[in-house]
Amino acid sequence: MNKIEAKNVDVYYGAKQALFDINMDIEANKVTALIGPSGCGKSTFLRCLNRMNDVIDICKVSGVVKINDYDINQKDTDVVRLREKVGMIFQKPNPFPKTIYENISYGPEIHGIAQSKSEMDNIVEESLRKAALWEEVKDRIHEPGTGLSGGQQQRLCIARTISIKPEVILMDEPCSALDPIATAQIEELIDELRKEHTIIIVTHSMSQAARVSQNTGFFHLGKLIEVGSTDKIFKNPTQQQTQDYITGRFG
Amino acid sequence: MNSVIFLTIVLLALSSYFFGRKKAILIQSNKRLTALPKFYGYYLAIWCGAPAFLLYALWSIFEPSIVRFFILSDYSSQGLLEGELNLFYEKVKSLSRNQYSGELTAELQRSAEKYLNFRDIAKWSKVVIVLSLLIASTGYAYTKISNNTKTREPVEIFLKGVFFLSSLAAILTTIGIIFSLLFQTIEFFQVIPLFDFVFGMHWYPAKAFVRDASEALDPSMYSDTFGAVPIFAGTFFIALIAMCVAIPIGLLSGIYMAEYASKRLRQYAKPVIEILAGIPTVVYGFFAALTVGPFLKDLGLSLGLEVSAESALAAGGVMGIMIIPFISSLSDDVITSVPQNLRDGSYAMGATKSETIKRVIIPAALPGIVGSILLGVSRAIGETMIVVMASGLAANLTLNPLESTSTITAQIVVILIGDQQFGDPKTQAAFALGLSLFIVTLVLNIVALSVVKKYREKYE
Repeated sequence: MNKIEAKNVDVYYGAKQALFDINMDIEANKVTALIGPSGCGKSTFLRCLNRMNDVIDICKVSGVVKINDYDINQKDTDVVRLREKVGMIFQKPNPFPKTIYENISYGPEIHGIAQSKSEMDNIVEESLRKAALWEEVKDRIHEPGTGLSGGQQQRLCIARTISIKPEVILMDEPCSALDPIATAQIEELIDELRKEHTIIIVTHSMSQAARVSQNTGFFHLGKLIEVGSTDKIFKNPTQQQTQDYITGRFG
Repeated sequence: MNSVIFLTIVLLALSSYFFGRKKAILIQSNKRLTALPKFYGYYLAIWCGAPAFLLYALWSIFEPSIVRFFILSDYSSQGLLEGELNLFYEKVKSLSRNQYSGELTAELQRSAEKYLNFRDIAKWSKVVIVLSLLIASTGYAYTKISNNTKTREPVEIFLKGVFFLSSLAAILTTIGIIFSLLFQTIEFFQVIPLFDFVFGMHWYPAKAFVRDASEALDPSMYSDTFGAVPIFAGTFFIALIAMCVAIPIGLLSGIYMAEYASKRLRQYAKPVIEILAGIPTVVYGFFAALTVGPFLKDLGLSLGLEVSAESALAAGGVMGIMIIPFISSLSDDVITSVPQNLRDGSYAMGATKSETIKRVIIPAALPGIVGSILLGVSRAIGETMIVVMASGLAANLTLNPLESTSTITAQIVVILIGDQQFGDPKTQAAFALGLSLFIVTLVLNIVALSVVKKYREKYE
């Protein structure tokens, strides 16, 4: 079943076109990796899926992006509700300048999910457990989230995102600022999260894409060159460009 | 003459830069240098200029007192008082300038001639000695230049010394000012008890008008005169009114500029706000005194309230308007510098713009915002002109914003305007007030720094 369907998506930054006619279907409860050289538009496409491009003044998006068969690019789409359903993890861990607890409780509070203090405590603990962070921080959840290590901060951001139970989680190179051990922990976590969420991950590392994803899309110069199961893309791509990129001939 | 010597030193130092560099370039043609040729130029220029300039400066500082010593040494055996000697010396100097109109004595005439003579000798020997030092040191350095002279290190050390002296000058002047305040204040408190100053409820410095010296030391003269409570209260009260105006408007406009305003609007509005910060306070002062004060008085009349034409409200309100641009501009800057990825993080959680501002951006920018507010408070406390013009000079102890009141700064102005003499408690009271003001702003700054530090530890 397709969770997300993108049809004829074009993106412009001012006069410059960043994405050309992207058509892509994304399956539910799978990890879809978007790969490609720098500046190929994979992050731009990711940001189309929760309308984060709205934040950038000069950015214009056209085309249809359907999530659960609903076109999110309509004028009257409520982006607050959309982003509640489609969470996002960024390249650089960006915990809020608050305590670990407040970082997690932020989402449930602004969306009015928890009715009581004890319910909130449960959400915080559950989110931290799911993000495999609870054991490390349970004694200091009232200390600043910014005091954690880079890998812990990124898992805190994941916990923050899953606290409001989004259906889709977008990850924009979530491990690029982390060391190999922290990266391994996050990758393990991604596989775990797939049970409850649909995950789309932009990555520079082809080995990471191969390790964590079931489907892969290859972008080049703002175009989606090829998309399919990760196995097929890495072992038997149909396009020459994909072949060249996978084997490291460019990019 | 002095400026000619000075210019000569500068010009010679500049030209020796080129000689030094040229020599280095010549050496370079067959040997490897330890530094770039320009360092050889700097090296020679420093050797040329620095010693000569130092001697020139020291000479200029000490010359007058040495000349004075020689002139007055003729009379040291006569047992004259210090004051009489001073007077005599002043007469000698004015006679030598042909500006003397008093009684001429043979002694005076002789000393004036001697004085002129000495000045002449001093002047020419200064030129000769300074220039010969310059030539000697330049020559020494020039002959020392070879391919392996260390030039980079001395130049660096010299520059380090220049930077050090600059900061030393800043620190020493500050310390000097504090001590001059301190000494006068101590003298003041020898006449007026500290307790009366800090807890006294009446401030009427005009009452301490001393007719002769015997009265000046009589403490009973000053009872109920220098009680600073009313003016401290007035200072904080007016500052409070000012901050009530400045903080909300400044902060909200800063947030608007940083988060909501379009690029175009920001481009034009921000400079306008900053121009507001450049308006001289005296202009705000007459705005308060001539426009706001009478307006409030009329408004009060129509509402049946008694409003003084010189009310604390007018002064504080206008002072608040003056402080708005500081708070607005500074908080705009700190909010703009909050990293975009925090905003993105919040938006990606489905937060609205105002939720993001309230719950993520303001906490992250808080140290800077608190800093800007405290800066505003120190300005409000130190502001003089608006208060002098708009809030009156009578130190009433009141908490009614519609009455007139006075502040520390305004009272210092009142005390020091017109005739005053040193050693008089009335004048020294100004120093005591100045020191109190200094202590208040110092404490405020320390609190501000520690608040900022505390939040910074929490948020970074």
